[in-house]
Amino acid sequence: MARMKFLCDAERCIECNGCVTACKQENEVPWGVNRRRVVTLNDGVPGEKSISVACMHCSDAPCMAVCPVDCFYRTEEGVVLHDKDMCIGCGYCFYACPFGAPQFPQAGAFGMRGKMDKCTFCAGGPEADNSKEEFAKYGSNRLAQGKLPACAEMCSTKALLGGDGDVIADIFRDRALTRGKGAEVWGWSTAYGKPDKQQAPKGAKS
Amino acid sequence: MRAINSGMRHFFLALLLLLPLFGGAAWAQQAQETQAQRQQVQPGNNAPTWRAARSGVAGYTSVQGRETGVLIQSEGETWRQLRNGPITRYGGWLVVLVLIAMGAFYMVRGPLGLHSPPTGKMIERFSAFERIAHWSMAISFCILAITGLTMLFGKHLLLPIIGHTLFSWLAELGKNLHNFVGPIFLFSIVVFVIKFIRDNLPRAYDITWLAKGGGVIGDEVVPCGRFNAGEKLWFWGGVIGLGTISGASGLVMDFPNFDQSRSVMMIANIVHVVSGVWFIAWSLTHIYLGTIGTTGAYEAMRNGYVDETWAREHAQYWYEDVKAGRRAPPSGESDAAVAASAPPQTQH
Repeated sequence: MARMKFLCDAERCIECNGCVTACKQENEVPWGVNRRRVVTLNDGVPGEKSISVACMHCSDAPCMAVCPVDCFYRTEEGVVLHDKDMCIGCGYCFYACPFGAPQFPQAGAFGMRGKMDKCTFCAGGPEADNSKEEFAKYGSNRLAQGKLPACAEMCSTKALLGGDGDVIADIFRDRALTRGKGAEVWGWSTAYGKPDKQQAPKGAKS
Repeated sequence: MRAINSGMRHFFLALLLLLPLFGGAAWAQQAQETQAQRQQVQPGNNAPTWRAARSGVAGYTSVQGRETGVLIQSEGETWRQLRNGPITRYGGWLVVLVLIAMGAFYMVRGPLGLHSPPTGKMIERFSAFERIAHWSMAISFCILAITGLTMLFGKHLLLPIIGHTLFSWLAELGKNLHNFVGPIFLFSIVVFVIKFIRDNLPRAYDITWLAKGGGVIGDEVVPCGRFNAGEKLWFWGGVIGLGTISGASGLVMDFPNFDQSRSVMMIANIVHVVSGVWFIAWSLTHIYLGTIGTTGAYEAMRNGYVDETWAREHAQYWYEDVKAGRRAPPSGESDAAVAASAPPQTQH
């Protein structure tokens, strides 16, 4: 069985926030909640890099460990999901998560937070797959439709990869090996071919 | 040795929680320089960026919200280790051991009774206002204690028995009760302290009382004021001390609308749980001594009246002062007025 993972290639991410938008559109995320966000380090200075982050669906998930009502569960594909009917809105998962994934629609006085919402790897929740109830609480269940998460699928530079960990690891490894350096990083060889093949294509009309 | 190591580990874990308050900025500066430098010599090597991400430094993000610029925060893992580890384990055993100790004390010693026969004459011990102040605090404390214990131990003790659906319903009710009753409890503490602080000021005879263990061991009557030294310790250490610590830390978590950071709320949570567990353990001894542990003590706070023998044996100096007219009875009325209002004779 595949182990689902996200991977963000900091070399490719251009901070377009397309993943954030795709997620919101696909899942009709509650107002004020962002299941995914793009963070730019060294913003505006040399060495600037952007990274898209959401729930990383940890193997030893801190949210799951600290939840006082044990509302989290892990699917066979390693996706960490939760049951909003059980969530009491205590905020402990929000404390414990390293990635800031669990969020609440409110942050009201007397701890009135509402039900926790987080990235589901587009895998819905405990309700029947692609039912109206599931969509209302958790958004789209693309995995049940044989599709991958909307954020990764929509990524314009394919910086964000989501899917079977073995497959995306292979893709990333190939990239890292063939990416080259200097001008090569920016796609020179993709546009003009490898240095030894840099010649005008033959037999093509121009 | 293993126990010492484990203790040290937890100490350092607690220190780690405080680390981001001091270290983040310097780290960010260093990472900024090295990523730019690294690219010069090793294009495509993003190790400094990932190191910065791991350090918990905040970057830029267009997503609004609390600490959204932070990619990875490590304090949560420290908090998890402390809360799920030593706090749950030792906190749980502390409460259990106190219960066992009191059960054993009850089996061996039994309730603390009177040495002389009751006179049948009742004297006012607490006014109606004092009893309302006490019970507002006591009832809200019990609600907080039960719901708080459910948050910490319910997952391990209650959930396996009653199942997820019922337990989460109870926990949600408990969480809301806890969050709304907490401020009521704090308010009742303020009223209680103002009302009772005069009679809880430490006096010289309190040292004698403590040295003799309140007369429990030697089975003798040790004189004291309106409240004995044990009650005074509970008043200052429990109601005021632990009440302030758990109250202040509770308010930090109860009002997340001020955008306080996660690490602040996690520190507050640890302070709250540790002080709360001590508060509960200590309160159990007070509840024991105030109910089945001492004959006549519960009736004193329930009805406001005690037998004169009880007053002489449990609060001799106060009893003598009231009888001699050196101080007014709790509700401030004269003896004649008290007699006219016919005290309830409910000494069960």
